[in-house]
Amino acid sequence: MASVKLTNVKKVYDNNVVAVHDFNLDIKDKEFVVFVGPSGCGKSTTLRMVAGLEEISGGTVEIDGEVVNDLQPKDRNIAMVFQNYALYPHMSVYDNIAFSLRLQKVPEDVIYNKVTNAAEILGITEYLMRKPRALSGGQRQRVAIGRAMVRDSKVFLMDEPLSNLDAKLRNQMRAEIILLRQKLDTTFIYVTHDQTEAMTLGDRIVIMKDGYIMQVGTPTEVFEMPENLFVAEFIGAPKMNVLRTNLMKAGDKYYVTPFGAKLVVDGEKGDLLKKKQVAGGEVLLGVRPEHIVLADPKDEGAIPVTLEVNEMMGSELHLHVYTEDGTRLIVRIPTIDLTPEQREGMVTGAKLYVTFEGKVMHFFNPETEKNLLF
Amino acid sequence: MKKKLPLGAIISLILGIIFVLGGCFLLANRFMPEPLWSYNSAYLTDNFLFILFGALAAFIGILLLVYAFSSFKRNNVDNEKMKQHMGMKATSRISNTVIYVLLILISIVWLVPFICIVIQSFRIQPTGMTRYLFENPEAGLKEGLAIKFGFDNYVRLFTQTQFPKWYLNTFIIAIIVAVVQTIIVLCMSYTLSRFRFKLRKPMMQFMLILGMFPGMLSMIILYQVLKDLGLALDNAVPGLILVYVASSGMGYYVSKGFFDTIPKALDEAARIDGATRAQVLYKIILPLSKPIVIYTVLSAFMGPWGDFVFARYISNGRIGAYNVAVGLQSWLATTTMAMENYTMFCAGGVIVAIPIVILFMCLQRYYVEGVTGGAVKG
Repeated sequence: MASVKLTNVKKVYDNNVVAVHDFNLDIKDKEFVVFVGPSGCGKSTTLRMVAGLEEISGGTVEIDGEVVNDLQPKDRNIAMVFQNYALYPHMSVYDNIAFSLRLQKVPEDVIYNKVTNAAEILGITEYLMRKPRALSGGQRQRVAIGRAMVRDSKVFLMDEPLSNLDAKLRNQMRAEIILLRQKLDTTFIYVTHDQTEAMTLGDRIVIMKDGYIMQVGTPTEVFEMPENLFVAEFIGAPKMNVLRTNLMKAGDKYYVTPFGAKLVVDGEKGDLLKKKQVAGGEVLLGVRPEHIVLADPKDEGAIPVTLEVNEMMGSELHLHVYTEDGTRLIVRIPTIDLTPEQREGMVTGAKLYVTFEGKVMHFFNPETEKNLLF
Repeated sequence: MKKKLPLGAIISLILGIIFVLGGCFLLANRFMPEPLWSYNSAYLTDNFLFILFGALAAFIGILLLVYAFSSFKRNNVDNEKMKQHMGMKATSRISNTVIYVLLILISIVWLVPFICIVIQSFRIQPTGMTRYLFENPEAGLKEGLAIKFGFDNYVRLFTQTQFPKWYLNTFIIAIIVAVVQTIIVLCMSYTLSRFRFKLRKPMMQFMLILGMFPGMLSMIILYQVLKDLGLALDNAVPGLILVYVASSGMGYYVSKGFFDTIPKALDEAARIDGATRAQVLYKIILPLSKPIVIYTVLSAFMGPWGDFVFARYISNGRIGAYNVAVGLQSWLATTTMAMENYTMFCAGGVIVAIPIVILFMCLQRYYVEGVTGGAVKG
């Protein structure tokens, strides 16, 4: 249970490749922070610097107010769960979990209590005497978590712990991690490349790209107010639609004109545009797939599109459509909103009309790709 | 449906006939009062070898014939499916047979010298080198030439010679070198496998190149240095330990290769769990590298155990400081000595081989894993 503070942390490899630039982050006590980003963005490297497995090239890492730059991993009082579990193959599950306690010379009866307790929480009591190779992926991951749990460490680090599991098990373990977090009540740093995991687990999300922090914020913040185009496209599935279009001001209202249609920007976004006194001009317009809705051909802002692919996801349809000028858009429509006739009409080549919800549009500067409203 | 005889069966039939006939010929030759054919060689007049080879050849021939006939019989089964299924089996059986026959032949060639040495070590009379093993062909002509067997050589070895002293010397050297060299090699391999430091690559390359020079190059200067340090001549035992241990760090290749296959995440997990680097090595890496540890111990033990050159020139004629190889060789230094000591030399050789044979029998499984393990991951 401790705060973690990273100040101007930098990682430069021997071949002068800079993996992390100037990383600044203040993690509060008992906070669950998720580092997310595409592979090679430096998120694992940052985590490993906190763990002490990578040398820190610049800046300082503080755990609980103490600078730990030159401390060995064993002296930092942290626990870590690895992507490939990293269980000791020659030891039984019990010995794996007890390993760190034995190194600390904890009495055997205390070890026994701690290990059986952790095993009970994780539901692996019956496997305690097995070797790791006799366990399934999910069970192994539980052992790895158990090994980290018994240490009572200040910070809990997790490096893509779920990415080796199959989709179903991953969802299950994700829920278990949320429960575990409530039980342990300690500081978590979690690395993942999966934005769903980031959104569901994190108190705060750190989105990284090429060694730079793109945005730090709560899941709601990064979803509703992405700082830049990268964050906007990275968070949310399917990906946000981005179009180059014009933002116009007429009277005290703002309009966008994608594909010849004239759509009014209303609601919170319209107010913000006014408040910021945005001049208008060419912008990158971001619209999430769920914010594109089917429209009536007679409506003012209706955009005619042709259906290319219809992905039936169960509760919703993902429609891949293209407009008259060939721009591709993804539209996400809840199945429940459609009449049976409408559903049957959703075949390749079908002509549809869509429109964008004005109050949830995002505007980015075409050059800097920064959010105009941020 | 066309019946086709399997090629393997035909080959084994022909080979079988040749082997049986040849074996019978060799055997018959031995038991005939007038040999049909005689083989004149300086080294192979003994009938023992004729019997050995003849019997083995006949045995292999019979095996081949049995195989050939059973495969002909199987071939007559009029079932296409069955035949196809059997075809696969037959092919693998043929290749197995060929492989085993070859292996048996090779092992015979390998074993014959050892068998000869063991037999000769029990011979009391004559004590010199002979062309025969069990029976002197000239014994009938001259009195007192008959061969006698017994344990006299072994008794003499331990009561009347320096052999126990040499054996002890060698044993002390080999044990100490095995322990120290294993520790050095494993630490070296772990360091090169897990740590990243400046000059790591250049150092490895340097050692690779250095290792290409034969150790004999350093012989003269080494002798001078050791002599000045007082570690040569009568003190050759500590001197030799120093020589063998000194360069042991260079033998890191095999074990480093093995360590490289152990995931680094295990090290990292252990270090986060609170282990020091040394604890990582002996609590995580070494238990996972059992074959390579045993390989390292065995090779470190065998080097000094059988070494002749270094032991010979560092002890330089001081009998008390010999190791077994040098000591045994000294008994055969001249022809006269050889005539007297040859059978005792064989007895010494047998005694020297015993610990190695025992070690290998217990540990050969690991040894093979160790040699090949680096490549395929243990």
